[in-house]
Amino acid sequence: MTFALGASAERVLQLVMKEFRQLMRDPRLARIVLIAPVIQLIIFGYAVSTDLTSTPTLVVDHDRSVASRDFVNAFTSSGYFRIVGRSDQPRDLVRALDRGEALVGLEIPVGFARESQSGQGAVVQVLVDGTNSNSATVALGYAERIASAYGATLVPTTLPGGVDLQARAWFNPDLSSRNYNVPAVVGAIILLVCLLLTSLAVVREREIGTLEQLMVSPMTARELIAGKTIPFAIIGLIDLAVVMVVALAWFAVPFEGHLVTLLAASLLYLMSCLGVGLLISTMSSTQQEAFMASFLVFMPAILLSGFMFPISSMPEGFQWLTALNPVRHYLVIVRGVFLKGAGFSAMAAEFGALLALGTGLLWIAAARFRKRVT
Amino acid sequence: MSAVEVAGLTKRFGQFTAVDQVSFDVRVGEVFGFLGPNGAGKTTTIKMLTGLILPTAGRGTVAGFDIMTETEAIKSRIGYMSQLFSLYGDLTVEENIGFFSGLNGVPRGKRDARRDWVLEISGLGDHRTRLTRELPLGWKQRLALGCAVLHEPSLLFLDEPTSGVDPISRRSFWDLIASLAATGTTVFVSTHYMEEAEYCDRLSLMNRGRLIALDTPAGLRAGYREPILELTVDNASRAADALQDNPVVLDAGMYGRLIHAAVRDLEEARATLPGFLSEHGIALSDMREIAPSLEDVFVSLVRAEGGAPP
Amino acid sequence: MTRPRFDMGRLLAVARKEVIQLRRDTRSLVLAFLLPVLLLILFGYAITWDVTDVSTVVVDHDQSTRSRELVDAFRSSRYFTVAPELDRTAEIAPLLDRGGAQLALVIPPGFGADLESGRPAPLQAVVDGSDANTAGIILNYTQGVVRTYDTRVRFAGQTLAPPVQVRSRVWYNEELRSRNMIVPGLVAVIMMIIAAMLTSLTIAREWERGTMEQLAATPVTRSEVVLGKLLPYLGIGLADVAITSLLGVWLFQVPFRGDPVLLTILTTAFIVGALGLGMFISAATRSQLLATQVAMVLTFLPAFLLSGFMYAIDIMPRALQAITYLVPARYFLVVTRGIFLKGVGMDELRTQGLLMIAFGALGLFLAIRVFRKEIR
Repeated sequence: MTFALGASAERVLQLVMKEFRQLMRDPRLARIVLIAPVIQLIIFGYAVSTDLTSTPTLVVDHDRSVASRDFVNAFTSSGYFRIVGRSDQPRDLVRALDRGEALVGLEIPVGFARESQSGQGAVVQVLVDGTNSNSATVALGYAERIASAYGATLVPTTLPGGVDLQARAWFNPDLSSRNYNVPAVVGAIILLVCLLLTSLAVVREREIGTLEQLMVSPMTARELIAGKTIPFAIIGLIDLAVVMVVALAWFAVPFEGHLVTLLAASLLYLMSCLGVGLLISTMSSTQQEAFMASFLVFMPAILLSGFMFPISSMPEGFQWLTALNPVRHYLVIVRGVFLKGAGFSAMAAEFGALLALGTGLLWIAAARFRKRVT
Repeated sequence: MSAVEVAGLTKRFGQFTAVDQVSFDVRVGEVFGFLGPNGAGKTTTIKMLTGLILPTAGRGTVAGFDIMTETEAIKSRIGYMSQLFSLYGDLTVEENIGFFSGLNGVPRGKRDARRDWVLEISGLGDHRTRLTRELPLGWKQRLALGCAVLHEPSLLFLDEPTSGVDPISRRSFWDLIASLAATGTTVFVSTHYMEEAEYCDRLSLMNRGRLIALDTPAGLRAGYREPILELTVDNASRAADALQDNPVVLDAGMYGRLIHAAVRDLEEARATLPGFLSEHGIALSDMREIAPSLEDVFVSLVRAEGGAPP
Repeated sequence: MTRPRFDMGRLLAVARKEVIQLRRDTRSLVLAFLLPVLLLILFGYAITWDVTDVSTVVVDHDQSTRSRELVDAFRSSRYFTVAPELDRTAEIAPLLDRGGAQLALVIPPGFGADLESGRPAPLQAVVDGSDANTAGIILNYTQGVVRTYDTRVRFAGQTLAPPVQVRSRVWYNEELRSRNMIVPGLVAVIMMIIAAMLTSLTIAREWERGTMEQLAATPVTRSEVVLGKLLPYLGIGLADVAITSLLGVWLFQVPFRGDPVLLTILTTAFIVGALGLGMFISAATRSQLLATQVAMVLTFLPAFLLSGFMYAIDIMPRALQAITYLVPARYFLVVTRGIFLKGVGMDELRTQGLLMIAFGALGLFLAIRVFRKEIR
């Protein structure tokens, strides 16, 4: 029996080594394994940021007083707004917003100085282009805060103290979206690598006829599955390391938890991803089909994972649906480990879900795969 | 003991019966030729014998193991080379050899010797580090054959191994097969080249999923009953057309500028054909009886069985 | 050899052949019609950045009228869902760790007394900051509620009004729904999918199989081939725009304030450009697999990530912003959003309109050029 086991391990090893040799010679490897993480890290490290700064703003100042200029200065010095034009015609405001030259319009009425200092209270008008609902909400909040801070400098000190809001953000004190997004890239990369490389590797052998050659060798379907998934699991782990190094060394994302927790979760997650990759390979007869199918799986899996869009904002039905999405559970763990320093116990549900999904998907895939090749 | 022994072997794909009640046996050490038009069921039969697909019905053994239940045991005792070139083009010659010897469980101590042997028989000693996809097709096929016998299987299945290969490479490929057979390997080979059939110890012919003949090449020729006339004419293509409509002629085909006509009755044909051809404005300069070629035999057998599949 | 004259009959023959093949090609049809609907449903229905129902927990150490008033202010805001009160501050940490709550408010003892006596009354708000975006919005909402309450308390019984008040108005997307931003943007993204994926499926396939060379043996001219091939896809593209727009308006109540004719014209120009680009890629790679991959990276991904579809361009780093100028979808997005939400016309969209037409011309030019090498 030990001999049989040894021969079996030998065959898997041969297949794994062959797979790596082919990958090394395949320019697609570089494309998928290296360029994809780099692009995603750049995009999610730099481009995707909801930290609002320098919103283009048009000012219509009807008052033209020292006070109104101070007020406008309060807007620009906050860094959140950038004045792109001034006018005394409200008409220009409409034009600028219509053409997208400005996203915010600030209109200061005649008598601003007098009313704001006399206790009567001045009302300024802020117009916001709501197209991007997200930026608009944030811009409105800033505008109100600036106005109220400016007002506080004018109010006589005899007024009651008021509520002193001391807001703190846990886990990510400076609210950098980078801290949230960069660790999550690993979830997307592992999925992409496993889906594409696994399905392409199997389908390519089917296309060129070598799969048949493997099937008449003493290699069993189980060994074939092992030999076809292990290389991509290893590449997935390498990508994990790459993303971690970049996240910590370049983007200085905090890492509060334990590497072991992350590694354990990654292994469970790999099972799901490889399972789906194998499933795609059983359903495609050409590499092109496999590529398309991977894309069709990848898109919704990422969109419904909480990667970019919070799950809590989805309708309830979709929230239930995302429970079947391994990416969702993995991202909770990745972010938990990076930002919250959470351990197994805090994320037991996610670990359980990953284990269940991983074994389930891999089992279904293996069953289908064996049926397809034999 | 027979290397292969099957009875009532049948494979259906839905409504379509690809292989229908096929029975034969292959003796140890012989080169067994497997012939038939495209779509006759040759590849399906080979796939059942090699354990790639399970038969719908029938029973049989390959290398002494049951084809229904012991496919794994069969796989470690046979070599197989498929129609498609099936080595990895992006691996080097040596890497392909190394991969297949690991896969087929060649003991580590013997691997170098086996590799050198394959390099030698395939004549690729000077190209061991070249990517396989850069090799000419004939070389690839020899390498594929070498990879299929790395583990010294007692039984070798070759599914149209030479399709698309030039005649000279085909010749050296068959020399290789002959030398393997000389060392006691049983070779089961399908082909549609008639001159290759001559190299086989025994031949079987499949048509429309059924086995319609099985004998030595000489036996097949001897069993052939329709006389063949070779006609030398000035316009072979018109002559062939015209002869198809002659009641004495069973079949007429062009062989270059000659006509081979299978006839119902030799004497009647000798008497009537010259006149028939001149009626059609065709000049006949020579007419003689010849021994049937294997191709004549097969064409006639297939015709008797209702023609080739559409 | 003189080139044959342009012939509408031959062009239509090419187009007809293309339609027949498309009709039999399930994969392409799925891609052409199911994918847009899937994306629309995902983006229009499932995915949103809008933060509502912020799960909030409160620890009220004060238990005064004032503290209860403040909690009520949160409770009556539509953005917060306030859970029953907690007793101890220590209970907050596990809740936030597990994601059981997004916001925790801690009202210290003496909050009411401080307010009454005119001392600053501290209020602690702890937010789960891991999702910076959501956290920022939650903090914004929190500040809004607190400020309103604060103003009410401080200026109650005063003759004074707050010195400066902001009266804000939101235009174009009055309820600030992210759906209204996404659906018009999807039109552009879907066009890119069609251009990138469909052409790689059908046109690269023709190169792969050699049937393209077969065309060279007929008297057909290159512009007839290119236009004949473009027509069916143009049809699919316009049908997709119509489907997306109608579903968006009916199902998701996205406003459509502009001129459908203008949208159709500019969309046509954009599709022609995108398809031309797709054909160019297909012909340059000659392999379905490679064409899909290249088209994905060159057209679809930029349209998705670097066009302002989801992420505002203003806040990207300069280098990335510079790249976005090369993404045609960036300009097309201004068109679709302008027509859908702002109801603007050709006057406001002159620049983008000209760019669309330029893009269309460029696409056609590239496609015809690529064919020149092969066909005569």
